[in-house]
Amino acid sequence: MRIMAYEALDFYDVDSLLTEEERMVRDMVRDWVDEEVIPKIEIACREGVFPDEWRVALGEMGVLGAPLKGYDCPGLSYTAYGVICRELERGDSGLRSFASVQGSLAMYPIWDFGSEEQKNKYLPKMASGDWIGCFGLTEPDYGSNPGDMITKAEDMGDHYLLNGAKMWITNGTIAELAIVWAKLDGVIRGFIVEKNDPGFSAPEMKGKHSLKASVTSELVFQDCKIPKDRILPGVKGLRGPFSCLNNARYGISWGALGSAQACFDSAKDYAMSRIQFDHPIASYQLVQNKLSWMLREITKGQLLAYHLGQKKDSGDWIPEHISLAKMNNVDIALEIARVARDIHGANGILDEYPIMRHMANLESVKTYEGTHDIHNLILGRYITGIQAFTRGA
Amino acid sequence: MNISVLLKQVPDTTAKISISNGKVDEDSVSKWSMSPYDEYALEAGLQLKEATGGNLIAITCGPERTKKMLTDAAAVGADTLVHIPIEGVKDNTHVQKLLAAAVERFDSSVILCGKQAADTNGGSTGPGVAELIGAACVTLVSEVNFSDGKFTTIRPSNSGIEKVMVDGLSVFAFDKGSSELRRPNVRGIMMAKKKPIESISSDDLGVALDSSSLIINSQSPPPEKPAGQKFEGAEHVGEVVLKLRNEANVI
Repeated sequence: MRIMAYEALDFYDVDSLLTEEERMVRDMVRDWVDEEVIPKIEIACREGVFPDEWRVALGEMGVLGAPLKGYDCPGLSYTAYGVICRELERGDSGLRSFASVQGSLAMYPIWDFGSEEQKNKYLPKMASGDWIGCFGLTEPDYGSNPGDMITKAEDMGDHYLLNGAKMWITNGTIAELAIVWAKLDGVIRGFIVEKNDPGFSAPEMKGKHSLKASVTSELVFQDCKIPKDRILPGVKGLRGPFSCLNNARYGISWGALGSAQACFDSAKDYAMSRIQFDHPIASYQLVQNKLSWMLREITKGQLLAYHLGQKKDSGDWIPEHISLAKMNNVDIALEIARVARDIHGANGILDEYPIMRHMANLESVKTYEGTHDIHNLILGRYITGIQAFTRGA
Repeated sequence: MNISVLLKQVPDTTAKISISNGKVDEDSVSKWSMSPYDEYALEAGLQLKEATGGNLIAITCGPERTKKMLTDAAAVGADTLVHIPIEGVKDNTHVQKLLAAAVERFDSSVILCGKQAADTNGGSTGPGVAELIGAACVTLVSEVNFSDGKFTTIRPSNSGIEKVMVDGLSVFAFDKGSSELRRPNVRGIMMAKKKPIESISSDDLGVALDSSSLIINSQSPPPEKPAGQKFEGAEHVGEVVLKLRNEANVI
């Protein structure tokens, strides 16, 4: 018998706008998260591991690289991809990060910019979850400013030689392959590095207080020798990594709502059952105000995410649309987590409740994939036509 | 081998049931799902299909909304989807006649269903259909296997479990099965969406649903639980132990 199905907060019935196929995919992922993720997530966090069975299950469900078509990829809509992210992140942001990186940051660049041979070699095994990918763009000294990256590639005639280091790489240590962005003759290019390539290592970064059930790594290239057919032929410059990031950020705008819903659910249940001064704290105006604010922000976020999904599916979108949704929905999710913690009082810090875990996760989500502030600057440039990323020319 | 699985859509276990004018108000049910015992019958049917290379026919009768459940069945592997559109039928014998006619129409060798539906808990569909088509019927089945032209089933007996072997046309009514239910995957969902649902009316099946002798007078929610009793302080331990032993019968 299955666990009681989760009934999500959906005040404006936004999910009724989904297609039947999208709802079926939602229910499949939702049930799996209820049965296999939520009962195990706190232990995974305490131990600081990403359970390998989750990789297998995501592959079996066939949700990795959700919106990509052909090469044994799922071929779902972008809206369905968003829904999948939301359901996964209701479990944990680390789980959603795993799927975002695999689909949007590792599979997508091969699918869009790779050669036919590269697509045939990598995509079917990545869609099935047999091969995990990671994405190397950020460096220790270059985060918001990836254009000044140091990692470089040299053409040695019959191979490329990579030198440099990447940091904050989700899935790095467990990946079979890395999409690495490096400068070749001063131009940013994408390379596929396989885990056994000589001169490549991916040590895990330990000691995180956030995304504890996700593997975060450094990628180190010391005279790393890779064959000539591992360069992504289809893109040059920052457009390559930014195309990937647009898709991942889109998924995050949905995913954050999953965390927010988990925090709202817990806060509501707690407020209804916690008795103070002889009455449930949910009967007090200050608590009701907090809950109604959560409902308001989640509902707005849901409409934003759904409409952006429709725009992604019709192709009628600009990166600024994604910046706004990622920034807003992560921002409200983090604030909802904090307010939920407040409602839970001391209990909110225990891992008996999901609150503190979501809150700590969302602190990372707020500054990865374009920090909150950088997204503001992207919108500022859109409004004024004046870039404010750098001072002067 | 044609394997028919009889499915019923019932209010989800999480759905609130409200009563209006002495009747369950079906319009107020927020979510409908496949009846849980039927899920085990479907899983067993899929395993039989895989073992024998058979064809799995999922059959339901009910209003338009029940088609969604057939698509769900297709997502995990049902080959043929059959919907018998009926509205508001409460008489089990009517449902049995319709289902019996459908399984005969599809030349089924074996029929699987849940032991009872999660809403009405009637428990009559399996035995009733078996009676109408002249099939053997085994109830409370948790497992079924097929080899050498015979079905071997596992069911409880008064001293443990028993194995019942059947050959020929058979109906198996499932209890909670021993296998884990499979999940759909994206590929299954996308194929299911394209799978046509065959609608066969009672007229097409040659079943006349005339008068019913069954009248449901009224339906009511279960009685509210009486308020609990609260004891504070060590001096009540003896009294609580006695109550737990004599009234609650838990120790």
